[in-house]
Amino acid sequence: MHEARLCLSLLDLAERHLERAGGERILAVRVEVGALSGVVPEALASAFPICAEATRARGAELRIERSAGRDLVLRDLEVC
Amino acid sequence: MCGTCGCGEPGGPASPIRAHAHEPSPAPGHEARRVEVETSLLAANEANARALRERLAGLGIEAVGLLGAPGCGKTSLLERTLEILAATDPDAPARVAVVEGDCATDHDARRIATRGARVAQIETGALCHLDAHLVGHALEKLDLDGVERVFVENVGNLVCPAPFSCGESRRALLVSTPEGDDKPEKYPAMVAAADCLVVTKTDLLPHLDFDVERCVERARRVRPGLPALAVSARSGAGMDEWLAWLAAGGRR
Ligand SMILES: Nc1nc2c(ncn2[C@@H]2O[C@H](COP(=O)(O)OP(=O)(O)OP(=O)(O)O)[C@@H](O)[C@H]2O)c(=O)[nH]1
Ligand SMILES: [Mg+2]
Ligand SMILES: [Zn+2]
Repeated sequence: MHEARLCLSLLDLAERHLERAGGERILAVRVEVGALSGVVPEALASAFPICAEATRARGAELRIERSAGRDLVLRDLEVC
Repeated sequence: MCGTCGCGEPGGPASPIRAHAHEPSPAPGHEARRVEVETSLLAANEANARALRERLAGLGIEAVGLLGAPGCGKTSLLERTLEILAATDPDAPARVAVVEGDCATDHDARRIATRGARVAQIETGALCHLDAHLVGHALEKLDLDGVERVFVENVGNLVCPAPFSCGESRRALLVSTPEGDDKPEKYPAMVAAADCLVVTKTDLLPHLDFDVERCVERARRVRPGLPALAVSARSGAGMDEWLAWLAAGGRR
């Protein structure tokens, strides 16, 4: 189950960018998941709310965009 | 998608997946705004892998990864490789170091150790793949003085090791004949991550409907021009080609 582990790095990265932007809360996270990235979008989606519980992304929306390649990229955040 | 909380949001395969948002709106007095990130989630591992690859290159060592399903013959291929190397030079296995990845047990490390190579076992527990951080620490436990080649045998798994480089210069994907020749198409991420397809257990071909050509062709649909070879660790067939691929060095 490496999606949970990836989810934690995703949230870690997101929180660092939230801080840098001087925001308080993460409302949404947009991630690109490539078909060849080895990541199952459904598994990422179900791990996300659980992993986010103890972070400033609690309750945030995870928007997954599928692409064809091997990319796994945190595109942007919606913060306030 | 929202079986977790029962909010019953429909999520057909065509629509983007959205994890539920229970507090989606900004608190009063706070404007929602967009923050660009554009950062790969694999960046941390990529950086670790690059550092490890450079550290090994500095010691004159190339690391080769072995990937494939549980039981596809990764350890057997290494055993046979060490046996052949020892036949021409009894000291050759001592110039090989192996990192073994399994969820549990040191069975594979013991098998490799009896062939004279230096070996470190990583027991990953629940983790389904190795990564550069784990492999780097495992190699710290070994004396690499005089070592020329490192093999990294990943956890048997045809999905999860793909995106996590372990500092290898090249990765071989093993598909054993009993698995069926359609595996490269079913698990394209692994093919995309590979630098060579090795069909293993060819001694079993007479008992199976596995077609080596078809398997190779299917892999090349995912990764055009992928080098491919077929071996039997049991009979030794094809081992020359495997050794030649290894000897061809860190070309990608
Ligand atoms: N007939 C035949 N059997 C083989 C060959 N190579 C491996 N095997 C058998 O396949 C089984 C698994 O081999 P291993 O080398 O342990 O496979 P592995 O990929 O290292 O397995 P894990 O590390 O557990 O994922 C063993 O019973 C081997 O004897 C081969 O070339 N021919
Ligand atoms: Mg093994
Ligand atoms: Zn996994």
